[in-house]
Amino acid sequence: MNVLETRGLAIGYRHRPVGEGIDLTLEADEVLCLLGPNGGGKTTLFRTLLGILPPLAGTARVLGRSLGDWPRAALATRLAYVPQSHAGLFAFTVEEVVLMGRTARLPRFATPSAHDRAVARDCLARLGIDHLAARIYTEISGGERQLALIARALAQEATVLILDEPTASLDFGNQLRVLKEVDALKARGFSILMSTHQPEHALRVADRIALLKAGRMVGQGPRALLTADALAALYGADTAEVAHSLPQLAKA
Amino acid sequence: MNRREYLVALTGLSAVPWTGAMAAVPSILHVFGALPPPDRVRRVFAAGGPAAILTHVLAPDKLLGWPWPLSIEARALLAPLVRNLPMLGRLAGRGSTLPLEKLVALKPDLIVDGGAVDATYLSAAERVWRQTGIPYVLVDGRLAESARQLRETGALLGVAARGEQLARYAEETLSNRCNRAVFPRPGVYLARTADGLETPLAGSVNGECIEAACAVNVARGPGGGLARVSREQVLAWMPDAIVSQYPEFHVLARQDAFWRRLPAVRDGRLLLAPALPFGWLDGPPSINRLLGARWLASRLHDPSARTDWVDFARDFNALFYGHAPTREELMRLPGLT
Amino acid sequence: MKLAGQSTVLRLTVLSAPLLAALLAAFAFGPYPLSPAEALAALWAGPSAESDAATVMWQLRLPRILAGLLVGAALSAAGAAYQGMFRNPLVSPDILGVSAGAGLGAALAIYFGLSLAAVQALAFAGGLLAVAAVVFVAGRVRRHDPVLVLVLAGVAVGTLFGAGISLVKVLADPSVQLPSITFWLLGGLNVVSPGDLVLAAPLVAMGLLPMALLRWRVNLLSLSDEEAAALGVNVARLRSTLIVSATLVTAAAVSIAGVVGWIGLVVPHAVRLLVGPEFSRLLPASLLLGGGFLVAADTLARSAAAIELPLGILTALVGAPVFLWLLARPGRGGT
Repeated sequence: MNVLETRGLAIGYRHRPVGEGIDLTLEADEVLCLLGPNGGGKTTLFRTLLGILPPLAGTARVLGRSLGDWPRAALATRLAYVPQSHAGLFAFTVEEVVLMGRTARLPRFATPSAHDRAVARDCLARLGIDHLAARIYTEISGGERQLALIARALAQEATVLILDEPTASLDFGNQLRVLKEVDALKARGFSILMSTHQPEHALRVADRIALLKAGRMVGQGPRALLTADALAALYGADTAEVAHSLPQLAKA
Repeated sequence: MNRREYLVALTGLSAVPWTGAMAAVPSILHVFGALPPPDRVRRVFAAGGPAAILTHVLAPDKLLGWPWPLSIEARALLAPLVRNLPMLGRLAGRGSTLPLEKLVALKPDLIVDGGAVDATYLSAAERVWRQTGIPYVLVDGRLAESARQLRETGALLGVAARGEQLARYAEETLSNRCNRAVFPRPGVYLARTADGLETPLAGSVNGECIEAACAVNVARGPGGGLARVSREQVLAWMPDAIVSQYPEFHVLARQDAFWRRLPAVRDGRLLLAPALPFGWLDGPPSINRLLGARWLASRLHDPSARTDWVDFARDFNALFYGHAPTREELMRLPGLT
Repeated sequence: MKLAGQSTVLRLTVLSAPLLAALLAAFAFGPYPLSPAEALAALWAGPSAESDAATVMWQLRLPRILAGLLVGAALSAAGAAYQGMFRNPLVSPDILGVSAGAGLGAALAIYFGLSLAAVQALAFAGGLLAVAAVVFVAGRVRRHDPVLVLVLAGVAVGTLFGAGISLVKVLADPSVQLPSITFWLLGGLNVVSPGDLVLAAPLVAMGLLPMALLRWRVNLLSLSDEEAAALGVNVARLRSTLIVSATLVTAAAVSIAGVVGWIGLVVPHAVRLLVGPEFSRLLPASLLLGGGFLVAADTLARSAAAIELPLGILTALVGAPVFLWLLARPGRGGT
């Protein structure tokens, strides 16, 4: 079954459309990597898929149900979003940040219960950062924050994850850590849609690739789609230059 | 209508006597510019409330307008001559509501201002004179100087006889009262605003009528202007009498449990002064207070006297404001009913 | 000192101590001279005893203390909610113009010579009106970050109402109305009567109730809108609920106490350093500390001199230096 599916989706704002005719499919238990230049509409597409921006045209379905028919809290128990590691503003503890992932499962006027705390601890442990639980979120490293945000998404107990450039602005070691977690999540049965600016990361973790440029889907398919030619066209770069930088790319 | 005392009070300044090169050193008048001969003074602009009332009682035909919007009730009690004068605005440095251009267009022969005299106000007066070329007279506005204000300003405006007549009344009001007053002088709390918790501190212009009535202002505190005080402080002061110009407060004080248990209220020394056409005690602090000073002195020291205050007010209005309202009109005033 | 990790008992003790000290001082000090023994005796004698001491303790000090608790707690709670919601630890409850609106309402009422009750009613209505105007304007702008639009609209509407206040002050009679308007704008509890408390307390409670019930969800408003939405929160509705609650609380407090600045900014800020930003701890701690702070400030306002020192001046005198100290304090940021 397709866990995410868009047909002829137009995205953007009422007076400023960003993209249209987007057909995108995320199947169960797969990792789909979305690549594309800045300003191509990746963030707007995610905002639409999360139900924050209404589609301008076309349809978007999550687990077979039209996005507009999902109550927000119910959607949050199926579909979780991991933003780019951000600095955070207030000095919440890492455990509190992860507990926020439990919100959709709490009665409206409740605070997290002992069970919720256990789930949060468990999610931290699964990412190997349970020792950070009592630390202040704003004081840990960028890589640790990214892992904490993934733990928060896990705490939602959703099956579909949307990751917005999870490796951006991380050092090499932390990038590897995050990619390893993406692999592990897939192995545990999560369906993952993630954006990245690094084609080698896509090659490393993706089952399939989607290419978004200027608000239109210019390619979608297996990893083999990612050729030097395709990347050169996507980013407006020179093919030889791309092939030289990324020797592991499939030859066209 | 005195912005000066108010500003002085807020900034914590005390009135510093001006020691600069003034022409008339012993005078209470501070003059900028060349004064026209008294018989040529025909158009007078009053810079603020106190000056407007001073000019009005001396030479109503020369007053160009009111510096603040008079209420309909106040206008109804005034002589037809001044009843319909326009509201012109005031001169008060940055607080002015009258543009200097409009002032020039009014072509006054003289600007009269009254109130506290200190360097700030003297320099502001001088600036207006330099910019417009219109002679400016700043009159020391203390209640104790009422007679001199009337006499000297009257001479300036070409109505010396009228000034002399009113000055005598002022002298009689202010000098003779205390001789037959009992000691110790009663402590008076002057309650302002609807809640009664705003009060002029001892020494402030707004509370001068208390001293003029041979009583003591119980409100002593830092600064010399208006202040807010707490109910507890009023209780600690334990005034012998509470006097106010606000009917709302008078109603409140007779209903509210706190005020009712104060001896002053319990023993019937909660006094309400009328406030029309001008305040008897204050607001603006000018010649109008002579009426309140007599009234207050009599109510405090001579409570058994059966003065007909309606008649009394009628006589004062006739003498000073040139118009005697009917008994019915006066009977409608809160405090005279 | 960080209390976030400490036990609830310890935390409550540490936070209640300043409140208790403030309450003791508030009952003990005042312009009417009473020895501690007299004060205790008067308290013991009960409110119906016929003595000056009983009047001072029961009729004068007690209502002011209750008013101080109510206003301090209300402003601090509103500040705590707004600082999280506007993702800015330097925000005060005035941010959407409620004080400017209340000030204009009160100034107009004083200008037209209305009764005390009308001054309070118009202040309350003015506060609500200003915020309604801000929310209405912000609702029409869709293309920018809604939080930023709210802040900017709040600045503009606050300025507009502030200009209205200045206009009324210029037009007001300088010897009669102007001082009253100025004093009102400086804030104070000296007029507060038990009747005012009976009116204001339910309004404050009505505003605090949604904050208390939604205490967990309020945390999520400090995230970006899409994060909060992706976590299952209806951001627009939660934000509106919080604005209505905080406005109700603030307008009720301002209508009886005038404009009392700084407390709604400094108290939640300081409390966050003590118990952390999590709202279900931040809210009760802000209520306790805010109430205590204002009771202490009001005790100073009424006993430092024979005249009332305006409360807004005292809270600014204490609040601003404390705030600067918090800013300049070495150590970690991220409050």
